[in-house]
Amino acid sequence: MDHVSLYELNILIRNALLATLEQSYWVVAEIAEMRVHHNGHCFMELVEKEGQQIKAKTRATIWASSYVAISYRFSNVTGQHLKPGMKILFNASIQYHELYGLSLLIRDIDAQYTIGERARKRQEIIDRLIADGVFDMNREIPMPLVPQRIAVISSESAAGYGDFMNQLNQNEYGYQLDVTLFPALMQGEKAEISIVDSLLRINSKISAFDLVVVIRGGGATLDLECFDGYELGSHIAQFPIPVITGIGHERDETIADMVANKKLKTPTAVAVFLIETISDFEGRLDEHFSSISDILNDAINETSQLLDLYSNRLFRKGQYLLHTGQLQLERFINLTNAGWKNSLKTHEVMLEKTKRTLCHESLKTLELQAKMMNQLERQLNSVNPENILRRGFSITTINGKNINALSEIPVGAEIMTITELHDLTSKVINSKKRKQ
Amino acid sequence: MAEKPFQYKKALEEIEQIVQKIESGDADIDELSRQVKRAAELIKQCKSRLRETGNDLEKIISDLETN
Repeated sequence: MDHVSLYELNILIRNALLATLEQSYWVVAEIAEMRVHHNGHCFMELVEKEGQQIKAKTRATIWASSYVAISYRFSNVTGQHLKPGMKILFNASIQYHELYGLSLLIRDIDAQYTIGERARKRQEIIDRLIADGVFDMNREIPMPLVPQRIAVISSESAAGYGDFMNQLNQNEYGYQLDVTLFPALMQGEKAEISIVDSLLRINSKISAFDLVVVIRGGGATLDLECFDGYELGSHIAQFPIPVITGIGHERDETIADMVANKKLKTPTAVAVFLIETISDFEGRLDEHFSSISDILNDAINETSQLLDLYSNRLFRKGQYLLHTGQLQLERFINLTNAGWKNSLKTHEVMLEKTKRTLCHESLKTLELQAKMMNQLERQLNSVNPENILRRGFSITTINGKNINALSEIPVGAEIMTITELHDLTSKVINSKKRKQ
Repeated sequence: MAEKPFQYKKALEEIEQIVQKIESGDADIDELSRQVKRAAELIKQCKSRLRETGNDLEKIISDLETN
């Protein structure tokens, strides 16, 4: 039977490929495995997945001569090293070697594609965190007024941690902060799990801390992919006390930065922020004290002025009252003088009146008596028998008794008649009653 | 026998009694002149007292006026 050797077949395949295919293609694939040989060549296994299912797989090589430039440029643009799991757009020619089979020779990598890809993945994670309802949770926790008990997640040997501690310890105000380090890997594939683990350890004694600081020490600004992970983002977002990041990079913010309560560029900036927060608080306290003092001083001044005013008023009022009192007293004295003079006058008048009455009445009484006496005298004169007799009347008696006192005068009775000049004795010749 | 001090009021009463008695015609004839004499005497005394009193009053009043 006609046949070719394997070698001949492989040559045929190679020739067929060379004849059919373009010289190079732009291909999108995911790096499934990657290793850099000590001679500087880079060997990869590229795959294309549908879900978790691998539906295509090819080996690829970047020769050492171009790998240095490609990886350098890639890192510069993306901020990441080429590594497994990364989706890349690359230019490759197809090689078929009779001994090693099919492989791709990568000549160039379009870093922009990876950036876009990374951005897409990041966006997916952000969307997921938002959908979980946790994205804003940590940012909504109020920053403590005086953050003093700090849990630091960092690598003990990292320069950033040293910077952070120096900045804190040498603060100009002499504030003492209680810092506890929770060491974690800050780069590499295991960094995300390590940081999450530190968060969980802090959470187990959460009441001992005011806030968490995640810092990553200076040096290379690469390999920030761990801070874009869903797990870390989710844990930071839901952490019960504020998380501050100081991851130390200038590029787009990571998801950890986005969900953290506060994002600062460097560990030093975090330390400065903490000191400033405390200092602000102290400043506010000072301000309050000062305004309290001002208010008190104002109040004291005001009160003092008021007191002066009152005391002046009181003094003037006192003087006024004294003056008025004196005037009143004088008036009273005058009135009293006038009063008793008046009263004296009244009494004098009364006395005078009484005197007149006395004189008048006494004289009147006297006069009355005199009149009466004259009247009596006249009466006496009118009844005086002497006078009667003088006028020619006489008095007749029988036996010494008034003749008018007798009811009957018998004939022959002797009667005595007295006249002015004579006493006559006679006998009754006739007696006849004139009146009954 | 000491004479009783003169009392105007009593004298006046006595005079009035006497005058009344004489006017009523009740007086005893024997008593009559004596009674009249008594009254006349009393009137004289009363008048004298009134004069004295008048003099005293005048003096007193003139003293009052001058003070």
